[in-house]
Amino acid sequence: MIGAAIRKDVWLLLRDRGALISLFLLPIIFMIAFGSMFNNSSDGKPRPIAVWYAPGDQRGAAIAKTLDETPGFRTELAGSADVVRQRVATEEVGAGLVVPATGPIELSIDLGAPVQVRGPLQGALTSVVMRASSSIPIDKLPPMVEARTPPGLARPLAEITPFQVTVPGNAVLFGFFIALTVAMAFVGERKTGTWRRLLAAPVPRWKALLATLVPYYLVGLTQLAFLFGVGIGVFGMRIAGSIPALVVLSMSVVLCAVSLGLLFAAVARTEKQLGGIGSVVLLVMGMLGGCMFPRLMMPVFMKQLGLCVPHGWALDAYYSVLVREGTSLADIAPSIFAILGFAVVFAGAGIALFRFER
Amino acid sequence: MTAVLSLRGLGKDYGARTAVGAVDLEVQRGECLGLLGPNGAGKTTTISMACGVITPSRGAVAIGGIDLARDPYAAKAKLGLVPQELAIYEELSATQNLRYFGSLYGLAGKRLAGRIAWALDVVGLRDRAVEQVKRFSGGMKRRLNLAAGLLHEPELLILDEPTVGVDPQSRNHIFESIRALRGMGMTVIYTSHYMEEVEALCDRVAIMDGGTIAATGSIAELVAVHAGKGLELELAGSLEITALAAAAAAHHGTVQRDGHVLRLLATGGLAPMIAAIEACGATIARIESREANLETAFLALTGKTLRDES
Repeated sequence: MIGAAIRKDVWLLLRDRGALISLFLLPIIFMIAFGSMFNNSSDGKPRPIAVWYAPGDQRGAAIAKTLDETPGFRTELAGSADVVRQRVATEEVGAGLVVPATGPIELSIDLGAPVQVRGPLQGALTSVVMRASSSIPIDKLPPMVEARTPPGLARPLAEITPFQVTVPGNAVLFGFFIALTVAMAFVGERKTGTWRRLLAAPVPRWKALLATLVPYYLVGLTQLAFLFGVGIGVFGMRIAGSIPALVVLSMSVVLCAVSLGLLFAAVARTEKQLGGIGSVVLLVMGMLGGCMFPRLMMPVFMKQLGLCVPHGWALDAYYSVLVREGTSLADIAPSIFAILGFAVVFAGAGIALFRFER
Repeated sequence: MTAVLSLRGLGKDYGARTAVGAVDLEVQRGECLGLLGPNGAGKTTTISMACGVITPSRGAVAIGGIDLARDPYAAKAKLGLVPQELAIYEELSATQNLRYFGSLYGLAGKRLAGRIAWALDVVGLRDRAVEQVKRFSGGMKRRLNLAAGLLHEPELLILDEPTVGVDPQSRNHIFESIRALRGMGMTVIYTSHYMEEVEALCDRVAIMDGGTIAATGSIAELVAVHAGKGLELELAGSLEITALAAAAAAHHGTVQRDGHVLRLLATGGLAPMIAAIEACGATIARIESREANLETAFLALTGKTLRDES
């Protein structure tokens, strides 16, 4: 009977263009949009920095040369100090350096930009100026700082593209939208009377519930497989950790989302309630969990708040599996247990509140 | 005869409100019982309890001699429900719908395919089997709704207002299907707002009102016992006077008012009713005797007409 329910729901889904778009196409659009937003390196090309110095000024020439030699940056000489400031103001370049013959060097940068965006650039350019001002030639200077991952954290991939973050972010965000699809299915079955027909049939009530949940669990798994497949095949996303860990994690995430759908179905009576309140709840959960803005870049309080929703745990685990080499199932077990804990709470509340005979 | 459905003291409360008091009803094998009652009479609640869709607050249901509470799956397997709503998936084809609903009754493989072909034949949809249901007319959807209920060849088929919103041709088709099923020995419970449907199809009628069974019997028995002598009056003058006259006449029997027209059923003779009407200052413009039938019996029992309440 559950097999027949799966076939029925798959047929219904294949004929529901709206559901197909929101489950499979929208996440891809969001992945591209967010991936482009976080792509600071402008497709791997060095970032242009406007520089002006008085003709013949040796300090200015040294700074321009050092900047050009620094990976990720490119010097763009400007005709005057005002041109540098103007190009920064019109966002043609992210920052500029005005090097007068004497006195302090001006770093032209929008101080209104968030410190998370401005800080790294400000730090890097300050370092360039310091190195250029050193009396010892750059190639003779020993490395002053060497970045290393501390013991306890697996080594990350050499080059992490924004898609390593935006693919799982959007997969989790849209993966949890299966909760709405599940709840809508229950509301629809009640509305059309097919639920009444199901209850009149010689089918245990738990089986009637499973017959609605299992097909969407499989649809949810297919959705995540598709999104990660596109992530790997189209966006070049890589899996640094173990594939079984990724599979178990994805199965837990979908289970949690379907359980949340049961809870939604238990408390919502109409499609309008689901479309309004349900969507907002899922978006807020996604936002807190770091689906739209990575938790890595959030302040400590927001980072902790993100762990109040399953999305936060899921994204932490996905980040480890996708970015940190050798991440195993055991490494992400705490996150998986947390997600399963959420699933138990959602399913428990859903079963307690679900009314078969509404 | 054997009772295919037996309801004993069946009732349902929703908080302090009693939807169905205590219904006692037996439906014999092979008979077609019409369940009549205005909206809110408790028909659908009673049917839902009989099918195991909702849990009764009191009483017991037995289907084919099996207690529904004790062995719900065996009892439900003997029953087919055709809900009032179009309980089908419009995005699927007729066959896909029936394949799913058949699986709920443990049908599979060749047996299921055979049952689907048979059910589609009964409702006259064999040639539309693979077409998407959303392209069907309202009547065809109703027929598919019926097919889904009889797919597993139940002993008892319960039809909850199966002809709502269908064209006369489809209604006739549904009637023919029900007659054919009865010919095969299937027991049928038929609820409707249409008196003439019940008169055309049913051997026995149960009239429900206010959550209880007001009367049961064959149509002839109900008419003989409850219909009484009916009278239809048309009053001249204002509607206010007509309303006053109706209220006065109601002390002596059942009155149903429709504009200036009063339909009367006297409990103790017609003379006191007419005297009460005239005492209000109303002028009788037309007077006609009404033939006793199921409608007048229903009016006498419930004080309401079916159609106006629907």
